[in-house]
Amino acid sequence: MKQTRLAQKIIRTQFKDRIYYPSRLVVDTIRVIARCGILLILYSYVFELNNGTINGVSYVTAAWSMFFYFAFSVLVLRHISQAIMEDVRRGTVEILFSKPISYLSYRMAFQVGKGLYSFLVIGVSGALVLALLVGFPVTATSMIFIPTMIVTFVLGVILSLLLYSIIGLLAFWIEDINPIFWTVDKAVMILGGSYLPVALFPTYVYALALYSPFGATQFITHTVYHTWQTEWYFKIGMQVFWVIALGAIVHIVFQRAKQKVSVNGG
Amino acid sequence: MINELYFALYAIKKNVQSNAELRTSFIANIIGMMINNTSFLIIWIFFIRSVGIINGWTAADILGLQGFSALCFGIVFSAGGGIRHTAEYVSSGSFDRFLLSPKNLLLRLATSSFGVSAVGDMLFGVACLAIYATLLHTTPYQVAFICVLVILSTMVFLAAVVTVYSASFLFVDSNTVVDGLFELFLTPALFHGGAFRGGMRFIFTFVIPSLLIGTLPVEAVRNASLEKLLLITLLSFAWLLISFKLFYAGVRKYESSNFMTFGS
Repeated sequence: MKQTRLAQKIIRTQFKDRIYYPSRLVVDTIRVIARCGILLILYSYVFELNNGTINGVSYVTAAWSMFFYFAFSVLVLRHISQAIMEDVRRGTVEILFSKPISYLSYRMAFQVGKGLYSFLVIGVSGALVLALLVGFPVTATSMIFIPTMIVTFVLGVILSLLLYSIIGLLAFWIEDINPIFWTVDKAVMILGGSYLPVALFPTYVYALALYSPFGATQFITHTVYHTWQTEWYFKIGMQVFWVIALGAIVHIVFQRAKQKVSVNGG
Repeated sequence: MINELYFALYAIKKNVQSNAELRTSFIANIIGMMINNTSFLIIWIFFIRSVGIINGWTAADILGLQGFSALCFGIVFSAGGGIRHTAEYVSSGSFDRFLLSPKNLLLRLATSSFGVSAVGDMLFGVACLAIYATLLHTTPYQVAFICVLVILSTMVFLAAVVTVYSASFLFVDSNTVVDGLFELFLTPALFHGGAFRGGMRFIFTFVIPSLLIGTLPVEAVRNASLEKLLLITLLSFAWLLISFKLFYAGVRKYESSNFMTFGS
């Protein structure tokens, strides 16, 4: 209970901090426009060339799928890896270990709070703009759309935090985690359906996206496809499986990492 | 001028030696970045397989595009990695040490740091362009085109980077602002070139020079187009001139905020 209250406090503090720095919101908006906005314009042309559908997917569906990916990326949950690495390099991890809160809970709450404000503003305004420009995806009228989307979003957040925490914790053993971070991050980027919507994947890549934790972090992009109606329980089940599996790995790695810390202070 | 170049080469050599001390990290960064870049190649090749050829752009052209972009990114950010730290230097006040140096300001700033991972970009770029040239069955004339265009696209990339990082002198929270602006420039440069048309093509050629570092060079090589080569040459020199002007105009706005980091 105390842990939850502390996590809420950290998220609230970070949220307020972001409100006081509007330039960061502007930058996050520029980033989404640079990536998602331009991509949507390019895809509108590509779909136009293919008479409106590619592999049975319409432009509206592809646009919402990619928008969900980029809106999710505004949360910058992946930066938890670098934050842990910096703590280890600078030695601040020693101080944080001595606080009456679990180090990883603190880092996760901090990371969620950091991106929440931009995510809410860009997510809501971007969704409104997209709805006005291209309309809503067909699955949006379904009863299960909003509840399952919220569940898959929350599980995606937990899964991302766990996945990137494992990479961050490797900083206790290796001096530079960046090469591993890039590899995992790009696996998430490809299998999550960033520049290429998941419905346009070749069969074997789609299978990889379905059964790997990298693709599972971004299952929110699957909610706009008509297959979601029949596959949502399987995909949410996959996310739950990966949360449990990665949660166990994080626990083991963290316990080992704690044994590696030697405090040299004065 | 020759002395300045000697100094730059000496600074780069020392930076490389210093970074290579951490050998494992040095090699891991290079390999990691090459794997990282391969992801873009995979995405766009899947894209072509799903969508088909757009405006004559094949998988080989995507290879060329990634090759040009990665190579000029690698050259600029390995040798001139210091430019990337401009915002940091300005906000911490450590930019003072460059102002006090008798060497050329921009050269001194650029060579103050070395980007190890950018070496991976450079190697990836060379490999992509070599495969691209082979797949295209390039004539010696086209090979010469590629060499000239690598120089020109590196000039444009340098100009764009200098322009973007000159904004560090204008904002308080400049670190995040310049990162956003840089992304606005770089992201379209890595996109499928065939999908840019009309207004988008105009904007990303003349207003934001993203297409000048990859898309237009690939099209120039493929068609052995002298007109495109001339356009890229004119624009690259114009952008370089503008960027230097903007940089020195930005420096005049700089106010020291020294945090006792003098000489560090």
